Amino acid sequence: MDSGEVVLSVAGLTKSYGAQRPALSRVSFELHRGEVLCLVGENGAGKSTLIKILSGAVAPDAGTVTVGGREFAALTPREAMGLGVATIYQDVELIESLTVHDNIFLGSELPGRLPLTVDARAQAQAARKYLDLVHIDIAEDALVEDLSAAQKQNLQIAKALHRDARILIMDEPTSSLGHEEKRSLMRLVRDLSARGIAVIYISHYLQEVFEIGDTILVLKDGEQVATHRRAEVDVDSVVRSMVGRDASAFFRREKVPIGAVRIEVKGMRWAGVVEDVTFDVRAGEVFGIGGLVGSGRSELVSLLFGLAPRDAGELVIDGVAIEVHRPADAIRHRMSFITEDRKRYAMFAPRDVVENVAVVHNELSGGAILDRAGERRLASGMIDRLRIAVSGLDQEIGSLSGGNQQKAVIARWMLEDADLYIFDEPTKGVDVGAKEEIYRLMVEFARAGKSIIMVSSDMPELLSMSDRIGIMRAGRMVRIVDNAGIDEQLLVKEFIGI
Amino acid sequence: MTTQAPSAPRPFPVLRRAALLRSQWFLLLLVMLVIAAFTGTVNPRFFRTNNIVNIFEQISTLGVVASGATILMISGNFDISVGANIGLSSCVMAMLIKAGMPYGVAIPAGLLVAVLCGLFVGFNAILFRAPSFIISLAAIGVFRGIALFMTQASLQTIYGKFEGLGSTRFFGVVPLIFAVSLAVYVVVGLILRYTRLGRRVYAIGANEQAAFLSGIAVDLNKIAFFVINGLLVGIAATMLLSRVGAAQPSTGAGIELQAIGAVVIGGTPMTGGKGRILGTFFGVLLMGVISNALNMLQVSPYFQDVTFGMLIIFSVAISAFGKRRGRRAALLR
Repeated sequence: MDSGEVVLSVAGLTKSYGAQRPALSRVSFELHRGEVLCLVGENGAGKSTLIKILSGAVAPDAGTVTVGGREFAALTPREAMGLGVATIYQDVELIESLTVHDNIFLGSELPGRLPLTVDARAQAQAARKYLDLVHIDIAEDALVEDLSAAQKQNLQIAKALHRDARILIMDEPTSSLGHEEKRSLMRLVRDLSARGIAVIYISHYLQEVFEIGDTILVLKDGEQVATHRRAEVDVDSVVRSMVGRDASAFFRREKVPIGAVRIEVKGMRWAGVVEDVTFDVRAGEVFGIGGLVGSGRSELVSLLFGLAPRDAGELVIDGVAIEVHRPADAIRHRMSFITEDRKRYAMFAPRDVVENVAVVHNELSGGAILDRAGERRLASGMIDRLRIAVSGLDQEIGSLSGGNQQKAVIARWMLEDADLYIFDEPTKGVDVGAKEEIYRLMVEFARAGKSIIMVSSDMPELLSMSDRIGIMRAGRMVRIVDNAGIDEQLLVKEFIGI
Repeated sequence: MTTQAPSAPRPFPVLRRAALLRSQWFLLLLVMLVIAAFTGTVNPRFFRTNNIVNIFEQISTLGVVASGATILMISGNFDISVGANIGLSSCVMAMLIKAGMPYGVAIPAGLLVAVLCGLFVGFNAILFRAPSFIISLAAIGVFRGIALFMTQASLQTIYGKFEGLGSTRFFGVVPLIFAVSLAVYVVVGLILRYTRLGRRVYAIGANEQAAFLSGIAVDLNKIAFFVINGLLVGIAATMLLSRVGAAQPSTGAGIELQAIGAVVIGGTPMTGGKGRILGTFFGVLLMGVISNALNMLQVSPYFQDVTFGMLIIFSVAISAFGKRRGRRAALLR
């Protein structure tokens, strides 16, 4: 299909957020009329950044985007739309309380006979054409809130077609679809391509990619590592180009002796999200949990900590089954939870470091009156021990750097000397130096005989820190592997299920 | 010891002055002094002892209500039914006193009604996961309706009875109700600063999710905040009843907005998580001084509402600028 004209070309796109390594670095490719370009890569490889640039949501630091014969240093969302670039996210951008045809014509409503009115009948008629194109068999005047996830997605495509889109960007379109719906989406993509619409298709699922892709572009750590013609490549070599990386990305941790089983998770279930998960963690062990985004990793650990009611399952600590209905119960049983989203779930941003560090301690130490001198002493001890860079004890935690915020949050749990530390993405948004300190801290916990459960999307982190790795796929822990002689390639295959 | 950020070492006095200027209460004090000086020059009666005592007496009730509002707003909640609550609970007290009940029964009964009203708002807000603002908006109708039904919309006068609280002046100068309101400020300040309950007020207001994950019983504590607020509203109702000598369902109407206004002027953001009782104290005082000054300057009383409205916008503007400056500093880091 490369006989077609070039509808989009990008050259040298680079983008970095803050001081960390670039999220995207010198990416260049051409997209032809009717071509299906698949974008693959691990979590955090730079796929989202790339599509954000193409849809105008983010401006690149360097490089150009050429579309519709014009070269841009940065697109605005309006320009992108005007040039026929449409991005389909999962069920956002639709107004649930409006009808299907209203949504298609949103912003370009067909005027009725009276001024300021909408000709609903004409819209419904015109909408039918687009709905047929995307094979949705629903009334034009159905409310969007009554549609299924798949129908909503197709409706967004219909909307894009109405706006005369020539380039469709689809971000993980099948992740919330059932098997049949996936098949019909695949067919739709092929139809669209036959009509000359170019598609950029982002997916974790390599089967889909091999089924519909003309070109496969592999991103890794923000770099474009390979661009394959589908016909000339097999799954293995794509996986290989997705994962291979140099050793400097790995942290060389010290091994500590591993003792008896302390934590047992049996048949844990949260209907539709986590299914029958069983594993154990021993004293001094770092148990890694890996899997794709949406595989149920974070949900599993939040279940353990009492953030959601479990439908079945048992949590046993040191031989005793414990009841956890809310985080307070988990804390009483000496569990701790360092969440993935610091800002949302951990930090009291406008409060000072002392209050943030002492919060769990204060909850557990009874009495109505605070020991203000005591909490300052404890907090300043932690600040020294974890080397948290603060200008003073009364600095607001929200104004610290990401790494120092994370250390302060960890300190909160260290004060209580927990037995089980659950880390969900322990080094997310943390700079390289602080990253190593956090790793060292985790090893320190392990040496003290604590058990550690670590959910991570960061492959080098998972591989360098874990003693064993539990692999989650579609809510199940499909395999538990010893972290000896396994490599990234094998893990990725397990995550995807090939 | 604490690691110093590279840019941290600054000349000490500069830092101090900046911190002082950034604290809202200091600004309020300055504004108040300017207003007082101006009013006093135009109308020397402003500085007479009698007038000053008057100001204190006028702001006592508002101060008690605003102290409760401070707790709620720091915790990220609102109760705008406090005016209607005062109406209901003061009517209850007045009717019981009229019926010949001893004060020892009538006053606690009124306080209990006020606490139950606070509980009603908090309980419903938590049960239905609804913003307390909306629930308390609805509660206004409920409380006022009950009061209207009970009194059949008639004024409940208790002239000559229960005057001690409202008319006592220590040394003939300091009104007892002002002393009570000072005590309330102090107690609320102590709660906020030195107790676990107070720490939870800030934690829940700053990040409810994080508070829950840290093991704080969020719902139970919120109920406690509403109950404390209800009790303070009851105290305010008692003070008002004793001072006025009569109650009707509309007694206290509008005080909720003045209280929220005073808390905001005092530097507590509408988003919660921050704020101090000292700010509220000066916010209430400033409102009292301005109100009195406008009277002294013979400005039309209708214009007072305009002034308070503008004052609230002005103080929100101050904290918005402060926040923007802070954000820019964080970006530069």
